[in-house]
This record gives sequence, C-alpha cells and structure tokens, in this order.
Amino acid sequence: MEIITSFIFAFIATMAFAVLFQSPKKILLTDGLIGAVGWVVFISLRDQMGYSSFYANFFGTLALALLSELSARIFKQPATVFVIPGIIPLVPGLGIYKGMFAVINNDYNGGMSILLTAITDSCAIAVGVMLVSSLFRVLKIRKDRRFLIKYHGKDVC
Amino acid sequence: MIMEQAHENKMTRDETLKVALMVGKILLKSGAETYRVEDTINRFCIANGYEVDIFVTPTVIILGNEQVDSFNCVSRIRYRTTNLGMISEMNDMSYKFERWPMSYRGTMAWLEEKLKAQVPYGKWKVCLASAIASASFSAMLGGNSHDFIAAFITGGIAMLVLKQIAGYRPSAFWENALAGVAIGVVALICCAVSVQCTMEKIIVGALMPFVPGVAFTNGLRDYMAGDLLSGNARIAEALLFAASIAIGIAFALRAWVLWGWDLWK
Repeated sequence: MEIITSFIFAFIATMAFAVLFQSPKKILLTDGLIGAVGWVVFISLRDQMGYSSFYANFFGTLALALLSELSARIFKQPATVFVIPGIIPLVPGLGIYKGMFAVINNDYNGGMSILLTAITDSCAIAVGVMLVSSLFRVLKIRKDRRFLIKYHGKDVC
Repeated sequence: MIMEQAHENKMTRDETLKVALMVGKILLKSGAETYRVEDTINRFCIANGYEVDIFVTPTVIILGNEQVDSFNCVSRIRYRTTNLGMISEMNDMSYKFERWPMSYRGTMAWLEEKLKAQVPYGKWKVCLASAIASASFSAMLGGNSHDFIAAFITGGIAMLVLKQIAGYRPSAFWENALAGVAIGVVALICCAVSVQCTMEKIIVGALMPFVPGVAFTNGLRDYMAGDLLSGNARIAEALLFAASIAIGIAFALRAWVLWGWDLWK
C-alpha cells in the first residue's frame, strides 16, 4: 500500500518537474512513469531489502535509465529528456541543502557528513546514468563511424 | 544525389562556424550537457567538411583549430535555464546535418527564431507545476494532509516570487535567496494558521523545485565524461545555489524567532 502511494506521488512530482523543465508535451506521462519506477525501486531496495543508500540509488537509476533509453528509441527523442526528470525523486538536492543549512548554522560536523552522503548518492546516480548511456552509445558510435567512412572516407570519431 | 543536394546549400567556412556557434549557444542556454554541445557542433562542422576543436564550459564556447593563423570564435553565455523541449528539437536537427536542406540565411533565421521563442509552459503553468511538485514531495517525505496543502501554497508562491524577481535579472544567487525567504515566511504563516502543520515537512517539500540536485549530478556526469572544468563549474554552482537557499530560509526563520512573535501578537 505504501509503495502504491509513493508510486503515485512520485509520478505526479516527476510530471510536475517535467513541466518545470519545459519538456515536450507528448512525453510528460512517460517521464512521470520513469521517475516513479526509479523511486519505487529505490525505496523498496533501501527500506525493505536493507541496501545501503548508494546501492539503492545505483539500482534505481539503472532501472530508470534503461527505461529512458528504451523510451528514447520509441519516441525518437534524446535520452536526456527522459533521464533528467526521471532522476528528480532520487537526486540528493535536499541533502545538499541540509548540509549547507547545517554549515551556516555552525554545525560543521553534521553538515559535512550530510554533504558527503549527498556526494556519494550523486556519484551512484551519475554512474548509473553513464553506464547505461555508454552501453547504448557503443552501438551508435559504430553506426556513426560507418557513416563517416562512407561519406568522407575517414574515421574521425 | 545526396552529395549534389548538399553541394547546392554548401556553406562557406565563416557561415559554418557562425551556424555551429549559434547551435551551441542555443543548446547551452537550454541546459544541455557539455558533451552534447561539443558533439553537436562537431557533427555540424564535419558534415560541412571542416575539422574544429571545441571547448565548452557552462559559460563559454570556444571554437578553433590547431593552425596558428586560423579562425577562432568565442561565445559567452550568461543566462542558462532548463528547456528539454529545445534540446530535443536541436537533437532532431543534428540528425539532418549530413543532408541539411536549408541555406545559410534560412538556417540563421530559423535559429534566431528558436532563440527568441517563448517556452511551451508560461509563468503560471510553471508556478502551478512547482506547487504540485512541492505538495507531492512533502507527501512522499511523510507529511500529512495539512502539510500537503501548505506545501502546495508555499511552493507556488516561492516560484512566483522567483519568476517575478528574475525579470529584473539579478544574479541567480539573489533569486534563490529571495525564494528561500519566501518559503520561510509562507511556511511560518501556514504553521501559525494550522496547528497540525509541521514546519520541517513544509519547507522540505517546498524547496524541492529550487534545490540543485540535478545540477550537482550533471556536474559529476561531466567529470565522468572527462569535462573536468565544466564539472567543477557545475558543482560549484550547485553548492552556491544550495547555500543561497539555505541562507534565505535561515534568515526568515531567525528573523521570525527574533521579532516575529511580537508582530504576530
């Protein structure tokens, strides 16, 4: 039950963020779905299976990045258009804010530990996104290279 | 056939560079990643038969090549927003570079139009979206129904304040700081009106549209792609924005503690 409510709220929040980011109208619902899937994977791994925040973020991002790449192929859009709203529920914006808030309120130890958690979580998300997009880019680069050799007779990629 | 068609609209070197710089400018202003800007410019120049070296950071695009007495173009970018629709359009364009159908004038006019075009969602829709996002986040992070409504109001008003101030073009630091003050003040008022509201849940929900989580993650992605300077710039920007919001909210809360209770009574 809890998972269903969080799925719905993550769906709405991601769609609202897609509007904030001025994403094209026809992909709003898909954006919402991708964000919600990422968030549900994240909370079920973190809260129910006891994964650390880093791994939960990593696998959540992996799920949403794979979905984004698939949707990118279906809708003929760049994958970024799906990934950037999709990672919104996961990104540790709140952590960065809380760390800064603690630091300006003289709590350096607490602030730095929150900021470090935020940095590792961001790293997990960035690694997840880069991993999936690199996998898909390998195919694209091979295609590009063939094209360039055909039309310009040289390999510039 | 394709080569002939390409030959008719073939651009000179200066024209190619101007169009490439313009495309890069539009992409960077729409908040594209560094590698995407470099890749698109590179594709365009190669499609027209020129090899260039490109250096892109969030604030500048530099085009040049390795010859000593050769061309060099610089474009300085001052205001950046996030506009995924524009990134998508430019991406569509980049697939047509090899058989680009328009002449130089037509392309420049089209790009100028894109640069000046209105965003698909206006001010009020963005404020509504911000309100909805704030409310959903406060529910996701464990707020009750009172927090949900309070976060809805707070997030909407804070985004409205930011949009109104953005018209005067101050630095982004002050925009975010004043949005933070607005969040603090409205959240305090909501807490004073309803006893069931919790201060923390409202603030946590309402500042979600302003915190730079995506900017921070994009900075790390730039690092991993090897764009070290852009990564530094983006992470510094994210920390600065987080600090500015924190300063705004802390100011509002501290001012309320010092003088607010007297005013309320």
